[in-house]
Amino acid sequence: MLSPKDSPLGKLLRQYVPVRIIRMDTIDIGLFEHDRNNTIYFYILNADEQIYMRYGGRDNASPDTYLNIESLTLAAAKGLELHANPPPAPARPKPDFPKNYPMLVERTFERNQCVECHLIGDYQNLHRQKDGTLDKLVHLFRSPDLKTVGILLDVPKGLVLKEATGAAAAAGMQAGDRLAKWEGTTVWTFADVQHRFGETPRTAKEAKLTVERGGKMVELTMTLPPRWWWAETKFRQSSVEPRFYFDDRPLTADDKKAMGLPADGFASMVKYVSSIARTMELHALQEGDVISAIDGKRVDPDAHTATLFLILRKLPGESAMLEVLRGGQKIEMPLKTIQMSFRK
Amino acid sequence: MRVLLLILGLAAMAMGQDDDIVWLDNYAEAVKAAKATGKPIFLEFRCEP
Repeated sequence: MLSPKDSPLGKLLRQYVPVRIIRMDTIDIGLFEHDRNNTIYFYILNADEQIYMRYGGRDNASPDTYLNIESLTLAAAKGLELHANPPPAPARPKPDFPKNYPMLVERTFERNQCVECHLIGDYQNLHRQKDGTLDKLVHLFRSPDLKTVGILLDVPKGLVLKEATGAAAAAGMQAGDRLAKWEGTTVWTFADVQHRFGETPRTAKEAKLTVERGGKMVELTMTLPPRWWWAETKFRQSSVEPRFYFDDRPLTADDKKAMGLPADGFASMVKYVSSIARTMELHALQEGDVISAIDGKRVDPDAHTATLFLILRKLPGESAMLEVLRGGQKIEMPLKTIQMSFRK
Repeated sequence: MRVLLLILGLAAMAMGQDDDIVWLDNYAEAVKAAKATGKPIFLEFRCEP
């Protein structure tokens, strides 16, 4: 038995009402709003449905990078402290339920199929796309990666930093600091931070953070790097993201200069082509090709690679004309994208 | 991930075997139980195994 009832976590859980939900049919997804591509996600709350904290979250690499028994035990202990002395309750979010999404209803409730978390997220986005409210920077890049801003956590210790690099180091964060507030909101867990980070307006240039250092609170301002919101989307089951089955890397400034390409352009080099692209005749890209323009465009305010340009500016199923540099030749190459279907 | 689910699953089994602890599977019942006992709610959402 890895976590017996007499373990620290077991003893803490005895002081809770534990509940496990595997069907989302009647859950208020407005109150319990989180990235639906998490395999497991926890909330600690009271009987008035005041949420004290979240626990969960993931990164590009794995669904369990930030999950372990030690940090869950810390969260459970803190939850009891907060329950004994509750902070002021925030305004309750507007209620929302899976049945509010007709396409989700048609393909789950009406077929007596399970309303899975990832389906909720996907159908919310399909409805947003339909009614013109889909903001890809927000809704596709739902959970920014803390590592992008140089915050590397000592995961078993909750929000204690193992190392600060990049933007976090430049802001003055140090190993051993404990993240205490994000934009003025108290945070207790990685999930709290990732949720707050995800709510940051995509035009934001900085974030106000508070860290606990040596028993004192220290306020810091972190300058956000370009595309701080970017995180890998390949693990997501997303019907609103065009699929094209190649991957690329941005060109260096020297590469762009040597090729006569704009320094602020999204030209990129193809580093991988899936056999699916050939099978489905989506394009004829080869590894080593440089995509220098798409539909005549070379520069985009948000994209730094061709793949990101396609994700942001194309709908699934749309086509594009690529300008490709291969062996000193310039090639005009058509590209088709497809829409993935996830059990629909 | 499977390891964590296994750990939590085993923990849950242990809880279930304890007369003091019952893992509920209904959110509304959990809220009622929290009101009756004064305990906080430990709510887990997970994909169906």
